[in-house]
Amino acid sequence: MFFLLFAGFYAKAQHLPDNICHVNNGKLVFTINLNWTDEQIHELSQTYELDSTVISSTFKELPSFTVNGIVWTTKIIKNNIIELSKELSPPFPPSVPANQIMKFDIPVLDENWIKKVASTTTDNTVYGINNLTNAKYFSYINDTATFFLYGYTYAREMFISGSFNNWSTRQSAMALTDSGWRISLTMKPGKYAYKFIADGNWLRDPNNKLKENDTYGGNNSIVFCYNYTFRLKGYTQAGKVILTGSFNNWNTKELKMQRNAEGWELPIFLKEGTHAYKFIVDKEWITDPDNKIIHSDGKGNVNSFIGIGDTLVFRLQGYQNALRVALTGSFNGWNPNELFMEKINNEWVLPYVMAAGNHEYKFCVDGKWITDPDNPVTIGKGDMMNSVIAFKPNYTFKLNHYADAREVIVTGSFNGWRTDGYRMKFINGIWEIPVFLAPGKYIYKFIVDGKWITDPDNQYWEGNEYNTGNSVLWIEP
Amino acid sequence: MKKYIYALIITCLIIFFSSFSRTVTIDESLPLIASFVKSPAQLHFNTISYDPSPSGNFLTLTIPMKHAGRLLLIEANIDGQTGNLVFDTGATDLVLNKTYFRDYMAISNENAGGITGAAGEVNRTIVGKVQISDLFYENVNASIANLAHIENRKGIKILGLLGLNMIKKFEMLIDLQKGKLRLTRLDKKGNSMVENQALHFDLVHKIKETNNIMLINANVSGKTLNFCLDTGAESNVLNSYAPKKVFNSVSIIRRSNLSGAGSQNSEVLLGVMKDFSIGNKKISGMQTIITNLSALSDVYGIQIDGMLGYDFFEKGVFCINLAKKEMGICFSKEKEAE
Repeated sequence: MFFLLFAGFYAKAQHLPDNICHVNNGKLVFTINLNWTDEQIHELSQTYELDSTVISSTFKELPSFTVNGIVWTTKIIKNNIIELSKELSPPFPPSVPANQIMKFDIPVLDENWIKKVASTTTDNTVYGINNLTNAKYFSYINDTATFFLYGYTYAREMFISGSFNNWSTRQSAMALTDSGWRISLTMKPGKYAYKFIADGNWLRDPNNKLKENDTYGGNNSIVFCYNYTFRLKGYTQAGKVILTGSFNNWNTKELKMQRNAEGWELPIFLKEGTHAYKFIVDKEWITDPDNKIIHSDGKGNVNSFIGIGDTLVFRLQGYQNALRVALTGSFNGWNPNELFMEKINNEWVLPYVMAAGNHEYKFCVDGKWITDPDNPVTIGKGDMMNSVIAFKPNYTFKLNHYADAREVIVTGSFNGWRTDGYRMKFINGIWEIPVFLAPGKYIYKFIVDGKWITDPDNQYWEGNEYNTGNSVLWIEP
Repeated sequence: MKKYIYALIITCLIIFFSSFSRTVTIDESLPLIASFVKSPAQLHFNTISYDPSPSGNFLTLTIPMKHAGRLLLIEANIDGQTGNLVFDTGATDLVLNKTYFRDYMAISNENAGGITGAAGEVNRTIVGKVQISDLFYENVNASIANLAHIENRKGIKILGLLGLNMIKKFEMLIDLQKGKLRLTRLDKKGNSMVENQALHFDLVHKIKETNNIMLINANVSGKTLNFCLDTGAESNVLNSYAPKKVFNSVSIIRRSNLSGAGSQNSEVLLGVMKDFSIGNKKISGMQTIITNLSALSDVYGIQIDGMLGYDFFEKGVFCINLAKKEMGICFSKEKEAE
């Protein structure tokens, strides 16, 4: 109920001396030096949420003053040292019965204030190469990852727990072989953290040198499921070949390619998107001879380019007299001068490599911005209305029984509870909209002709602050 | 036959509950949070030793725990639903998240004498089977409460809270650093059935269980205080009504005004206990929230001066035997490299 108020706190005090605030006889007491610098006074105000009136009245040495109904008193202790105090307030507003104070909300203060651990929620890993002591301990072929743990055959049971199974400790049991434990799991390309669990005890993969701090005093093992192999044919006489590119900031030493029968190769995980690269053959920089896509960087260098991910073909029918049609959207910063479409037969066409997600877009036809006439899914109103496409959607919201409705919108935590979209499509008697949702919890509602309803076909819902409910949806990794 | 026995048990419970619900007064403002839940009904149950009976073919069982921030999670399967329970010794019993067990409420309200508060509802129900690793329970009494705020804050699915009465019959070894809870069976005399050869406790301290919460004495500024030992508390909490002397060694490092619900006169304080000791062991730099806990004391039915939570448990390995009323502690040295 209250925890939202605590967002955005500052880090711990930096400039103030210790022991400036304590509790004494039911009072909150500050010991303040009137010679403090502006910086220190600012920190005092931030750390203890004292507003400017309290601060200025204190420094004017007013013996007593009232701010927002709170009575403050000051007392001069000695030269330039002043004691500011007030009665301790009840911890929560009187309108809330004290026994409803939520234990689980109080510590939010703690988390924001102390910030002991770094956030691991955003992982911007662009590329990755595995580092196992032997290739037999991990393989990734045809979407199947196989983990092998040597030894520990005395264990009664062994599980693998990681970001691929939502860190479930019971879902993925490994099978005992004559020399260790093995499991094969269907996984998408990407970066994954994991540990083994031997009879209830967490165990980092002893044969994997790649690890990351788990923020709780230990380490997780890290593995990459590859999605691309760089290949360079020939150059068999070369001493070494290095792969370098925009993904690793053109590092000239890091990614050594491996010899094979025909030349050189390097399997790798690369994040979806477009990457520039070159090979360095014994210090000589060359583009990829088997890749026709090369572009100049405008500084006299020519690089090879590769797009990772799937291609979506944008199409706009008609507009045969238009001179120039551009695709513009959230994926290119709404730049109307970059992604020009090509006129093929009766339509304008542009294939574009995109990451999975919900993307907003428009066409720019000779300077005039239009939504996609063939896509009924939109967000926003009037000039601010954009077309929305879910590329590689993983979930479809569906609403039955409202065949007579004029407009149905789904809104929720996934789009900041916007009331102007996403508009659903009416197909075969059902309102629906496919979307891409990253793993996690979502709460949502439908707005049927302006009326908010929970999902009648979803048994899971939770109460909200309006004393109604929100439907609850979990997307598993 | 099994069905029949089940029905019989339920009927007995219904009769018991319904007869009981006429004799208790129901607090209109029952707490939202189960850790604070201590309905009179539960108190009564404890006096007749109505606690869940753990089953499972083991003498000792290690259960992996996961961290979600400063919460500890244990994977469980409850009547077929798999998910995480918060390991919360500040909760008295099993508490289920209303979102996923809403259907159970109808049963509890009709049959088991559910208790409905004005703002926060806490319902009583019975679940068929709870399975945690190789440990399982059948026909478990549980509360149902709205835990959506924990889920939304942590972004993790929370099926419920694993409260103290579920595991108090075992010796509990709590090791945050290794992320494990080890449960060991006790013999009739309360002795652990597996020797703790490897553990050398730095301190063996008295602990007692009252009304399904654990209480220990610890000293702040030389004053002996009564602390509730609460693995579900993400932070220590010190009662602002604790004896005045206590605050001599507590320095306030943060203050926040709470401006919710039309009041400008409320605040929460974060402090550091500079003189905290348990037994003869001083623990420095223990951070704590300072707030009024008198309502909580009312709910628990015991005067408590504070709660020791995550900050405390991360100081070492704790081995609790409530039958022997003992808690052994191995304090961690410097954090060892893996």
